[in-house]
Amino acid sequence: MKSGSRNSPSRDSYGRVSPLWLFLMRFGPPRWSEYVVKNWTGQRLVIAVPYLWLLIFFLIPFLIVLKISFAEFSPLGRPPYEPVFRWLEEGALQIKLLIGSYVYLFNEPLYVSAWLYSLKVAFFSTVFCLMLGYPMAYAISRSPPTQRNVLLLLIILPFWTSFLLRVYAWIGLLKTDGLINQVLFKWLGIVDEPLAMMNTSFAVYIGIVYSYLPFMILPLYSNLEKHDNTLLEAAQDLGAGPIKSFLRVTMPLSFPGIVAGSLLVFIPAVGEYVIPSLLGRTDQLMVAKLLADEFFLNRDWPRASAVAIAMLLLLVVPIMVFQRFQNKELQAQKK
Amino acid sequence: MQAPERRADKKDKNEPWRDPNAEAYVRIENVTKRFGDFVAVNNVSLRIFKGEIFCLLGGSGCGKSTLLRMMAGFENLTSGSIFLDGQDMAGVPPYERPVNMMFQSYALFPHMTVEKNIAFGLEQEKGLSRADIATRVTDILSIVKLDQFAARRPHQLSGGQRQRVALARSLVKRPKLLLLDEPLGALDKKLREATQFELINIQEQLGVTFIVVTHDQEEAMTLASRIGVMNRGEIVQIGTPTEIYEFPQNKFVADFIGSVNMFEGTMIEDLPDRVRIKSDDLGGVIYVDHGISSAPGAIVYAAVRPEKINLLRTPPADTSENCVKGVVKEIAYMGDMSIYLVKIDTGKIVRVTLPNVERMSDDERILWDETVWLTWHGSSPVVVTQ
Repeated sequence: MKSGSRNSPSRDSYGRVSPLWLFLMRFGPPRWSEYVVKNWTGQRLVIAVPYLWLLIFFLIPFLIVLKISFAEFSPLGRPPYEPVFRWLEEGALQIKLLIGSYVYLFNEPLYVSAWLYSLKVAFFSTVFCLMLGYPMAYAISRSPPTQRNVLLLLIILPFWTSFLLRVYAWIGLLKTDGLINQVLFKWLGIVDEPLAMMNTSFAVYIGIVYSYLPFMILPLYSNLEKHDNTLLEAAQDLGAGPIKSFLRVTMPLSFPGIVAGSLLVFIPAVGEYVIPSLLGRTDQLMVAKLLADEFFLNRDWPRASAVAIAMLLLLVVPIMVFQRFQNKELQAQKK
Repeated sequence: MQAPERRADKKDKNEPWRDPNAEAYVRIENVTKRFGDFVAVNNVSLRIFKGEIFCLLGGSGCGKSTLLRMMAGFENLTSGSIFLDGQDMAGVPPYERPVNMMFQSYALFPHMTVEKNIAFGLEQEKGLSRADIATRVTDILSIVKLDQFAARRPHQLSGGQRQRVALARSLVKRPKLLLLDEPLGALDKKLREATQFELINIQEQLGVTFIVVTHDQEEAMTLASRIGVMNRGEIVQIGTPTEIYEFPQNKFVADFIGSVNMFEGTMIEDLPDRVRIKSDDLGGVIYVDHGISSAPGAIVYAAVRPEKINLLRTPPADTSENCVKGVVKEIAYMGDMSIYLVKIDTGKIVRVTLPNVERMSDDERILWDETVWLTWHGSSPVVVTQ
């Protein structure tokens, strides 16, 4: 690897480069990464600012949420939970941790089904994104360099409009008298009656795949674009046809990109709130909706906090697996 | 280090290109390749014989790599045809050609071990059992002396080891023809020399026909049974290394291969067994003890190799021919030999190399600004017309 010494910020103590840093280096301004690496001692201060920000506005709130998740619910209290830590008169500290909220999560059928449904939606959305995104990323990486930036820009273009607006726009397309039904039913007459697409799982898949597709395409592209074309020529030269070459060379080498893209889609999709609320089923909730309802409707802060913590733990595991994998892969590819 | 001698013996006995009726293994007929307006390969025809190591030699952009890629099937021909063992290769995709290529960058699969890399080609063949594949991989690994590295990944190998993996991977399929693109380009000088002989040994052992593309004339000289010198998409001369060096057919080859002193002149005597050339460049007459086919009075170029010129401190008995006076301007001591740049009276700089046979003290040695006489034998100059 050209850039970076052992003690650079982009590497951990084992000299491994984290995927986030790779992503930043890929899209950062030219030579920016080298600059950071070279002037590391002077950069600590600059790096400290975002870390401080994360500490104050992420880590501390997280600890508060963790605390609340173990508190006792008191519907009439303000805030609506009993304190976890209490100083007793004898100068002793009383700590009262209840795991009731967590136990509830795993026993209540509504919760269990919401968990499973969320995971299912996230999983299949990821698969669809991969199936759509891989060919697109591949095509972009194989297009002439002058066209590539235009094609990439088109992928990123939807971000220039508010996410919420774009999801609302799908209502206009999917509803019973929406654009799609107008075309299919009124103009073309292909269907006998308007299709019921709103408030179905189908609409949720459409919304999630549409919204998260760029997160699949960008890491895949950034991986595929770096592939050495002579490897494919070598595979062909050794007797492997186009399909075999793809399966034995391109795909295994793009595996880190597949994993990165899949996680970038899967993780936010599990906790997706807006899309299922606007487009999804009313009889089957996803976890994030449940969390919001618990918090705002029931005012049960401890249970809502427990949902949040459980969700975080659920998603941290695949990220750690990915990290391990990515590091191993990087180690192997380093020359 | 015995390889080159053995090969030299063999070469004397087996020179199929001398026989016009011999069947060529690879026939390249009037092949042209254009990229837009640019003609990369211009009407090239070649006959390459079974068991040869044929080197395509030329500077960058001369079309040698394009020609190689056309043989592998990675580029389409604009016109012309390529036959391999009698079969027309037109329309045959790379993965169906009985040809393998060793890439300049080696193009080893980074996600596979050495063993898997080598087995890859065999796995694409139908009717090979796992056991067959394993045996053949083991065999080729021992030929390239990489037995202990089978389980390593390419990034865990040195440059020389990677080069041997690439060679093994392309040889294990037993191709009819092996194409090598700058096979030793990425190795340092010492390793390159050792590998050259290794490559020749392996080629002899397996009897595969090699076509090597290189810009390195030393590499071409050592490896090749014959060399095809390319310039601007055309083959300018084909011949054995000796022919190319000693009898270049034109100015380009004389200049490109090794270094040479070129004197422009006109023929003043043109006999079947000897020629005299009056050269203004030299300010004298060049005598050549063999005949040249050329129109009388034509402008010709006499090329004299630096190592074929003698350096004398005193004028020789006969200074009328093949002799010129000059002053030593530069001396480069190279260890095994020294290079002298001598400015002759016409102002031209002549390059002379002398082997350092004896250790000499500074008094004995020819030094800067000394006046010297340059002489050479009548057999030394090569006369080319263009």
